Amino acid sequence: MNKRLRSDLLLLGGLAAVGLALFALLSLGRDDGVQVLVRVDGVVTQRFSLSEPRSYTIQTRDEGVNELRIDDGAVWLESANCPDCLCVKQGKIRYAGESIICLPHGVVVELSGQDELALDAVTQ
Amino acid sequence: MKRLMCFALSLLLLTGCASAPAGQRAAAAELEADVSSTRHVEAMDTIMALSAYGSNREKALDAAEAEILRLDALLSTGKPDSEVSELNRTGTVTLSEDSKKLVNCAFSLHEETDGAFDVTVYPLMQLWGFPEKEYHLPTQEELADALARVGMDRLRLEGDTLSLDEGQEIDLGGIGKGYTSQRVMEVYRQAGVTSGLVSLGGNVQCLGTKPDGSLWRVGIQDPWKTEGEIAAVVEVEDQAVITSGGYERYFVDESTGETYCHILDPKTGWPVKSGLASVSIVSPDGMLADGLSTSLYILGLEGATQFWRDHSEQFQAIFIDNQGQIFVTEGLKDAVQADAGFTVIPQSEKSAG
Repeated sequence: MNKRLRSDLLLLGGLAAVGLALFALLSLGRDDGVQVLVRVDGVVTQRFSLSEPRSYTIQTRDEGVNELRIDDGAVWLESANCPDCLCVKQGKIRYAGESIICLPHGVVVELSGQDELALDAVTQ
Repeated sequence: MKRLMCFALSLLLLTGCASAPAGQRAAAAELEADVSSTRHVEAMDTIMALSAYGSNREKALDAAEAEILRLDALLSTGKPDSEVSELNRTGTVTLSEDSKKLVNCAFSLHEETDGAFDVTVYPLMQLWGFPEKEYHLPTQEELADALARVGMDRLRLEGDTLSLDEGQEIDLGGIGKGYTSQRVMEVYRQAGVTSGLVSLGGNVQCLGTKPDGSLWRVGIQDPWKTEGEIAAVVEVEDQAVITSGGYERYFVDESTGETYCHILDPKTGWPVKSGLASVSIVSPDGMLADGLSTSLYILGLEGATQFWRDHSEQFQAIFIDNQGQIFVTEGLKDAVQADAGFTVIPQSEKSAG
């Protein structure tokens, strides 16, 4: 075994390690549970897990504010400074496929997931 | 050694490929069958969500949005220049193509449900304060006065001209959203879309299946929980799923604690207490499903069951009674899932015993 072969093996090992590390990173970053996606004017600005309780302030154009809460496997908008507050009245959502919309602020909070029990719509 | 280098390179390439399957992406972009767009429209006093799949989806959504706004302008009781407002103001109107379809459907529903469906309850709705959400518990005199103005049998339809009797007002809202979701399906089809869904403030209608061939999963609202929490799921293809329930809008009389829901019995003028908490209709005809969800709520479980047995080729239904029990008509027995379980209503009365 000569020096070059050894350095090649080292390179190969290094590459394999980098590949494995990348793979692990990608797998860890993926959450199999339901994700909360916050869109402002169509663009995803935040992504949370539905299983971790939190409060978050969504800032929108023209100083719009929607206060988001995640708790107990549900997400809802607690308050907002939009004119009609229809988004707050939409209450809690908890199933992949559901969404809360605030048209005046261009905010959509949606639940997405690979959950095979995801809903396409809710009739009420 | 060269072989080793090649192996190393291919390993690197493989790692890259895992996150960016460039070839596959190009193929998917060409077909776009499983790519969807969603749009939200505010109309008919609610927020509507429209989604469509495939390469024609944007064109279809543009057309669907325009159609929704056109129908809202035609049918709204709140817009002074709508066809319905003109009729209510002047007492007579020449019906447009759309209104004619709605009015014809209203007449046949009125007859088939023995008067439970009635588009002339609007004066009663106003008396109770439901349209403006300024609730009022009416006196017997007020009720008698409003009831005297209710009754579809007193409308006159001559050719394309619909005339109201003295003091009558109509609201086509009981079938308007169902007609609209039906029209959106037609607009989707004309635009070349084969897979799509609309939810008009909780009135759901779907076109075809999802692009992967699986059925659409529609949740049925749990009447006692916050909006979005469901009591059951129904899996459907090419159907409207439309729910009516007293929980949607009601007020509580603070002195007695009594609850009054927005679904009024056209015969008594009182909010309905039929023992049902909600009725969901599954039918390929959105307009029919919309009208029947309210009418069968009024009829109660027994009356609704009989009605379904006589019309089971047109629709299926899911009933939730005030005790939270779920009843599912036979045609849906394999399509419904409910954590609490459900009772199947058989087609033939005999096998029920």
